[in-house]
Order: sequence, then structure tokens, then C-alpha cells
Amino acid sequence: MAVTSATRGTFAETRMASRGFSLGRLTGRVGTYAILIAFLVIFLLPFIWIWSSAFKTSQEIGRNPFALPTELRWGNLVEAWTVGHFSEYMLNSAIYCAAIVAGSVAFACLAGYGLSMLPLPGRETVLVLFLLGLTVPFQSVMIPMYYLLRDTHLLETYWAFIIPGIAIRLPFGIFLMRGFFRGLPPELGDAARTDGANEWGVFRQVFLPLSWPGLATLILFQFMWAWNEFAMPLIFVQRDALRPVSLGTMFFFGRFTADRGMIAAGVTLSMIPVVLLYLILQRRFIEGITAGALKS
Amino acid sequence: MTGTTLVAPFVAPSISPARRSWRRYRAGILFVLPALILYLIFMVYPFFRSIYFSFTSWNGVTAVKEWVGLANYRELIGDNLFWLSLQHTVIWVIVGTIAPIAIGMLLAILLWSRPKGFTLFRTFYFMPQVLSAVVIGIIWNWIYNPIFGILNESLDAIGLKDISRGWIGDPDVALYAVLVAAIWATIGLCFVIFLAGLQNVSKDLLEAATIDGANVWQRFWNVTVPQMASVINVVIALLLIWGFSVFDIIFVMTGGGPANATEVLATYTYKEAFTQNNVGYASTLSVVITVISLIASVTFIRLRERQEA
Repeated sequence: MAVTSATRGTFAETRMASRGFSLGRLTGRVGTYAILIAFLVIFLLPFIWIWSSAFKTSQEIGRNPFALPTELRWGNLVEAWTVGHFSEYMLNSAIYCAAIVAGSVAFACLAGYGLSMLPLPGRETVLVLFLLGLTVPFQSVMIPMYYLLRDTHLLETYWAFIIPGIAIRLPFGIFLMRGFFRGLPPELGDAARTDGANEWGVFRQVFLPLSWPGLATLILFQFMWAWNEFAMPLIFVQRDALRPVSLGTMFFFGRFTADRGMIAAGVTLSMIPVVLLYLILQRRFIEGITAGALKS
Repeated sequence: MTGTTLVAPFVAPSISPARRSWRRYRAGILFVLPALILYLIFMVYPFFRSIYFSFTSWNGVTAVKEWVGLANYRELIGDNLFWLSLQHTVIWVIVGTIAPIAIGMLLAILLWSRPKGFTLFRTFYFMPQVLSAVVIGIIWNWIYNPIFGILNESLDAIGLKDISRGWIGDPDVALYAVLVAAIWATIGLCFVIFLAGLQNVSKDLLEAATIDGANVWQRFWNVTVPQMASVINVVIALLLIWGFSVFDIIFVMTGGGPANATEVLATYTYKEAFTQNNVGYASTLSVVITVISLIASVTFIRLRERQEA
């Protein structure tokens, strides 16, 4: 496989690169790569297994689960999309994600700006209130949330996931955006203020255009969270027609347990958007995660 | 005092103090208000309502919520399933915090000097982190499958057929089997954060320690770890908060079974609330989760402050 040839390549290069041949160093390098590649296999193999199974019939999987598909059979994916309701689940997830991302990013951006750039009475109290939201698990609020949604007749509608989905993600967004705005010099707004702009104008014309890097990171993370979220739709939207992909995939798994090719296709469809997004924007993902963890 | 006398002449006498402060704060309040209102209604209010529910025997249907005082909490103390769930949660938190941190740290240190293939390794080590719990759960259910799972097939292949079993169907190992799946998905996060943290670790100090004769382990434990303390603390705090409220992956993989072998506080709470309709008692359980995870995270923040002071 490609992995072994890569080992051989680095092995030879290491040998050439190391000035003064040292046996101890060489074995150290080889050992390091042995561990690194072993973990690469552990992390990557399940993906390859699922993706290749999606293109095989259940009989082919039964014969040799590890063999790569001999020909690309799209039948499983097509069937999962139509018979398995994935077209509906994907559409629902798109609706949920669009609404949750738009709402949580807009509110968090405004509040993050207000809490970092504008005078506010009781600012510390509000900050602590939002900070506690970062440590409160969903279980602490889910039961009354359910009855609140029931009493407002929002249960079993798209709103039942959208509204609490926005609310529960506010603390993360506010802290990310507040941290971002605090990195900008407040004096930037003064020129616009002397030109007679009000605070909304200052925000729109000066700070919002500067905040794109922060907003992009936030959009990415809110999207990934909304796409993957499971417990909230499980409890608040039980009708199949309203299920997002995460929940749909689970019921799909229950329905087609025996049909392995079909399940692999469903799982593949369900992870494609986030995995693609990650592979395209991986640097932003990783920088966002580390910045978020190290600053907070 | 002097402030007021200095400012006073600049203010038109017709404007009252209330209106003056409204003008000063108007913009800030309007920016924060939409988020705050939503947050108060859908987070803060349910939070306190949970506590109120925990003192009632409500079943979710009746109009009246009968106040029962501490009865639910007394029931909790005698409830074996509660203690079992708590025990599983504690195991989950301990193993699920230590293992990804140890493995993530190992990988970060091995890739510290950015050897060839660095980006490739980093990309794929982190990739499981973007998956939903449902996808992770189904993938690992397959791996553990007693008939066609790769784990048993691999064990058979290397002559360890005796060990092979239906991993998540066996009450003795099910909890650990699910834990392994969760750890698999979490290592990437720890790894990436540690990798960033290592950038701030002084290589000069490490070289000095090498010259002084410190071995690899001593250098790691006495030089690297102290410089990484705050980063490690952040990761621990994150994993603690997630661990105490773990739900998704267990619900997907085992649903708390077999025979409650993987029941944790969150899955038990879910069942009591939404399948048994014991809303009062379920709220009591949820209050316990809240208190435990708040204590854990607050203790951690305190420890960290003390370390930094």
C-alpha cells in the first residue's frame, strides 16, 4: 500500500539528511514513524472501510469486508437517497443549519460587539451569565425546554430545534466574537463617530467588515455543530418528515440493519458535507479550535 | 465629586439623569438585548425550572405540579440504578479524560518538530472530530459486530479467537467498548490543542536538561509538562464537562444496555423524563448532573487561577 512506500521514502531521506550517521537516532526516527503510521491507520481505516463498502453489494462485503470495490456501484447511494429518505433528511438538515447558523451568528456577533466595545451597565454580570452557559450541559435544561416548546406549540415543528439550537450555542459564539473584537483597537471607530455616524453605523461600516475572520470561524463551527447535533432533535422533533440527517441516519440504521452496503451508503451521505468542509478548510478548523481553547 | 462638578456644565439642564444614562448605554443595551432575551427564555428560565421540577412529583400531564419537597432526593439515595449510572459516569470521565490526553500528548510530541508528512498526519488524526456521534456509533458498532466486525476478524487472524466476543453485547466490556469509540474520536482534539501549546514550550530549556543528563521521561515530566500546564488544564476542563453529560454516543451504540451495563446519568435521565414520564424524578437527576459538572469545572477554574497566581 501507499503507506509502506511512504515509510521507505522517509526512511531513506532521514538517513541522508542526518549529518553523521547515528544508529540510535535512526532507530528513533523509524520508531517514531512506526507509531505515527499505526495511528494513521487507526484513524483512517474506519473511513476507508465505510466509504468503500458504500460502493459494494452486501454479498461482496460478506465475502471480503476489506477488499476495495472492484467497480463503483452507485446503487446503494441512490437507494439510500430515495428509499432511505436521505434526500429529505439532507434538506431538513440544510434548513436547520441555515437558520441556526444565521441566528446564532447574528445574535452572538451583536452581543459580542456590545460586550466588548460599548459602555453597558452590569456588563460583568451579563458576561458571567453567558460564561456559565458554557459549562451547563443540555441535560440541565432539556426537560423544562421540552415543556416550554410544548406549551408554545412549537414542538414537532422546525422551530423546536432551531430556537433552542440558537440559544444553547450563544455562549460559545459570544465568547468567540467578544475575544475577536477585543483584539481590535476601539479607536478605529472614532473617525466615523466624528463624521456623525451613530453606533450602528460605526459597527456596520468599521467593525463588521473587519470581523470576517472571526465570523468565518464561528459560521464553520456553528454549522458543524448544527449538522451533527443529535439529542435536541431526538427529543423535540420526532416526526420522520422533520428529522435532520443525524437523527435520520440512526433510524435508517435500525431499518436496514441487515443491508450492509445500504448502511455504509447512508453513513457516507450523512458525513460527506462536514468531512468535505473539513478537508477544504482544515487549517481554519484547526486554528479555530486551538484559538478557542487557548484563549478562553 | 470633582467629576460631577466638572461634567455638569456640559449637560443641558433639561435632561434628566435617567435619560442621560439611557443615551449613554442605549447602543450597548440594544446590541446585547436580542441575545440576552433569547438566552433568558430558553436557557436561564429552563435551568431554574429544572430545579423547581425536582421538588415536584409531576408526570408531565397534569395541570397541577404537586410539591413533594425533598422526596425525590431521598428516593435518589436509595435508587440502585442511580448509583450504578453514577459509577459508570465516573469511570467514563476518568478513562475518557486520561486516555485521549495521554495519546494526544504522545502524538503531539512525536510531531513537534514537524517531520515529513506532518500535514497528512494532522489532517487525518483530527478528522474523526468532525463526525456526529451517530456516525461514530454506527462505524464502531460495525467494528464490534460479533459476526462480521473487523475487531473479531483481526483477533481470529492473529490467533486470539478466545478473546473475540460481541463487544457491546457483553455487559462486562460494553462500557469500555463504547469508551474506546469515544476516545478514538476525541484524541484528535487533544492532539491539535497540545500541538499548538507545544509552540510555547522552550526548546532551550529542553536542551539544557538534556545536557544535564535528564532522560526522555524526565525531560517530558519535569520540563515540558509544567510549561504546558495551562493548556492541559483547558483540555481537562473541556473533557470533564463533556464527560459528565455524555449521552449521544452511548444512546446510539447501546441505549444504556445490555442490562444497564452502559447506563450513565444522562441516559438514565432521558429515560425517566421521556419514556417513563417521571418528570419530577428526572429533573432531580438532571440537577445532579448540573451540580457535578459545575463543581468539576469551577474547581478546575479555581485550580488554574491558583496555578497562574
